[in-house]
Amino acid sequence: MKKYLIAGIVSLLFLTGCWDERQFKNVKLVLSLGFDQGEEGQIIQTVSIPSVSRATEGPGSESLQILSTSAHTPLQARGKIDRMIPESYDPAKVKVIVLGEDLAKQDIYPILDDMYRNPRSNLNAYLAVVEEGTAQDVISMNHTGATRISNYISGLLEAAVSSTHATGENLQLLCAELLEPGIDFSIPLLKIEDDGNLLTFSGMGLFHDKTYTGEKIGAEQTTLYMLLQGEKGRVARLTKKIDDHGKDEILDYITVSVAENDRKMKIENKDGEIAVTINLDMKVKIVEYPSDHLYVKGRIEEIGKKLSKKLTDESVDIISQVQEANSDVFGIGRRVKAYHPEVWKELDWREEFPEISIEPKVKVEIIQHGIIN
Amino acid sequence: MVGIFLFIRGKLRLGDANMGIFTRFFRNNRDKLADRHMSEPSNEKERPSSKKLSENVKYILDAFHQSNDLKIRVLKKGDAALLYFESLAEHEKIHEKIFAPIEMGHTEDVFHLPNAKQTNDLEEVVRTLLRGHAIYMEEGKKEISQFSVTSSFGRTPEEPQNERVVRGAHDGFVENMMTNINLVRKRVEHRDLTIKYFKLGKKTNTNVAVVYMDGIADPMIVQEIETRLHSLDSDMIHSPGHIEEFIEDKSNSPFPQMLNTERPDRVAANLVEGRVAIMAEGSPTTLIAPATFFMFYQAPDDYNMRWFTGTFVRLIRLFSFIIAVTLPAFYIAVVSFHFEVIPDELIIPVKASINEIAYPPILEALVMVIIIELIREAGIRLPAPIGQTIGIVGGLVIGDAVVRAGLVSNLMVIVVALTAIASFVVPSNELSTALRLLTFPLIILAGTIGFIGIVFGMLFIIIHLTRLQSFGVPYFAPLAPLSLVDLKDTFVRLPMYMMKLRPKDAHAVKPIALNPSREWKNRDEQNQSKQGSGGNDQPSSTDDTTK
Repeated sequence: MKKYLIAGIVSLLFLTGCWDERQFKNVKLVLSLGFDQGEEGQIIQTVSIPSVSRATEGPGSESLQILSTSAHTPLQARGKIDRMIPESYDPAKVKVIVLGEDLAKQDIYPILDDMYRNPRSNLNAYLAVVEEGTAQDVISMNHTGATRISNYISGLLEAAVSSTHATGENLQLLCAELLEPGIDFSIPLLKIEDDGNLLTFSGMGLFHDKTYTGEKIGAEQTTLYMLLQGEKGRVARLTKKIDDHGKDEILDYITVSVAENDRKMKIENKDGEIAVTINLDMKVKIVEYPSDHLYVKGRIEEIGKKLSKKLTDESVDIISQVQEANSDVFGIGRRVKAYHPEVWKELDWREEFPEISIEPKVKVEIIQHGIIN
Repeated sequence: MVGIFLFIRGKLRLGDANMGIFTRFFRNNRDKLADRHMSEPSNEKERPSSKKLSENVKYILDAFHQSNDLKIRVLKKGDAALLYFESLAEHEKIHEKIFAPIEMGHTEDVFHLPNAKQTNDLEEVVRTLLRGHAIYMEEGKKEISQFSVTSSFGRTPEEPQNERVVRGAHDGFVENMMTNINLVRKRVEHRDLTIKYFKLGKKTNTNVAVVYMDGIADPMIVQEIETRLHSLDSDMIHSPGHIEEFIEDKSNSPFPQMLNTERPDRVAANLVEGRVAIMAEGSPTTLIAPATFFMFYQAPDDYNMRWFTGTFVRLIRLFSFIIAVTLPAFYIAVVSFHFEVIPDELIIPVKASINEIAYPPILEALVMVIIIELIREAGIRLPAPIGQTIGIVGGLVIGDAVVRAGLVSNLMVIVVALTAIASFVVPSNELSTALRLLTFPLIILAGTIGFIGIVFGMLFIIIHLTRLQSFGVPYFAPLAPLSLVDLKDTFVRLPMYMMKLRPKDAHAVKPIALNPSREWKNRDEQNQSKQGSGGNDQPSSTDDTTK
């Protein structure tokens, strides 16, 4: 009996044959994916596939293959691309997903459905929208910034996150905001410049529900926009014009770096009318102020007041843009739903959001001004 | 002059008497042993000697099958004979013990020599001859005199090659058991150090000693070891490694259940912890039982370092266990099942290195691991100069060429080399080989079902470790069963003065190993605080009485 058992187990060892093996050397990696709107409701998928060859010493040489195809769904496109390359491609290490502007203006969830369904997909992948262009242009652009376009884009976005320009939203974080009615989101916008040699971060595209509204917060304003959302990257620098000397333009400007920011959002329910106050208290350091004379008594307080006013004005501007786009990026709806459920039930939030009053109050306190006065 | 001689003779006699008691005890013990399990009839019965010299000589010669190295010196014109093995006895000793006293005229009769031992049993004579004694017989006398003239060739207690330390004692056990016991007794100068002799091996009659501290070691464990040694019935016993397989609990386990060491300090320390040592004549290796898994990760050096560094190397060693067992399996699982876990920055370099390798990673790994084992096995017994050549040929040439030829990826070479190094970090050779063996099943499991395979494999190993016992003591202690106090000397090495209790796994009868030994520290601190407070009177201070 025991003999048969052992023989059985041993023969099982030879039978297995590694059925769910996925040899890393047998897959083609795709590090960046692009989707565009095609003709007749089809989508165009663009992938860049790096092929590396082994070198005995040092890094191997690398060549890029860029393939584009149109199909009805992303997976159909993947099947089509698989037919063009040796082996098959695997999106498990995708770093960036780029959407063309035209496609983004429609429902983007169907494009991402496969990413969420497949347990092997990389939920850390960044999402970006190409402003006035197609994803195909971006993926196939002849750039000099980095070796691979995926590195270029992800590096660009990471830098934007650390300098408080973008939220660094990846597929994972986006999922809830995509599906929940009480909160919307914004996605970094990329723009091709310099005849297709340069890619720039051009702001945050405001999304309503699952579609791109076409409205954006410009790159200059994104820092304040992020601070209003209560998020701060590693560095948050604001350069503002606070004086009007008239002679030297450069002397009118001040650059401050935000050391601490504290955002408080207060939602009040006045007989079914929602009123929101956003209090933003910032402690800032002056990092650039050519006009100087900071030793003068009261000068610093004065600058603080000027900055507070300037930033409050800009905040009003940003909020009006957001409301115009009907993109509830602050998640006000979510809070209304939680704290005032009876109001939420009566409201049609999509209708209501552009109408509610949102009042920003920015208070700036200067705590440092560098090592000179 | 005469006085001095008398004095010396008296002393000699005294020594002789002591030795007599000792040997009688020894003999009794051995005979009891023989009664218990020696099945060969010739060893068992007594054979009284006859008055005829020729009969006695014939009996002895027959007992040794006319062996040629048995020398017979005929004395007194054929009336007396001196018998000894020329291969065992030393001529100088024979001269010194037998002929010199006679020449000096102390006595005419060999039987009256002070260092002689009388017997009437020819069987005993056979045994003592084998121990290297010379025997003297005379025509017409039944008594036979025995003289201990054994020659022994021993090396000096040098530091063992496989257990070197940076700081600490540099002596080691030798092949002579008496020397070994001497080394231990010198270190544990206490009356509780108990040594019990056994004779094992029906043909080899190897002397085996069980050494323990009475009053510290668990009597049950000592009893168990003795029982197991008694039940050992084999023709040949030539080393503790040989004994180990007979008396260990589970010989089908890859893990060694007794600690092998050649270091007297290590044995002494373990004895005082309440463990039992087993020594054997003819081998410098000593077995220590009961052993736990973590004992194999302790090195004598740890206790000579500062405790931070001691703890650091401990952690490094335990980390090496994980590397040695799982690293190749982990790598294979990653590249053949779960490449998602490779960091983004590494993905292209990894891909580049394995892209054009012909074989699947599991084959690659098996080939490389076997190559490493080949190199190790080839180099291990070669003399040093050739060993180096093997190292260069194996390590540099094969390692480099295999990658250049594209047979094995350079990542796999790194992984396998790291694994090999990690397996050599373990201070015990037995465990190190066990770890290298454990790599293989995990490689196969990882190659068939990926991470799940590694998890199952490790689970299996850990279940086995927790179930294993060494002489009734849990092998994986102090982790299973968990004993937080005993972690003081496993993952970390706390300062010596904090090791107040002996490890529980040794089942020591007396648990307390040391009493508070740094009381002076409190006194100093109190003095300091008194000075710090500007000499103000502090009635609460206990040191006030000294003023």
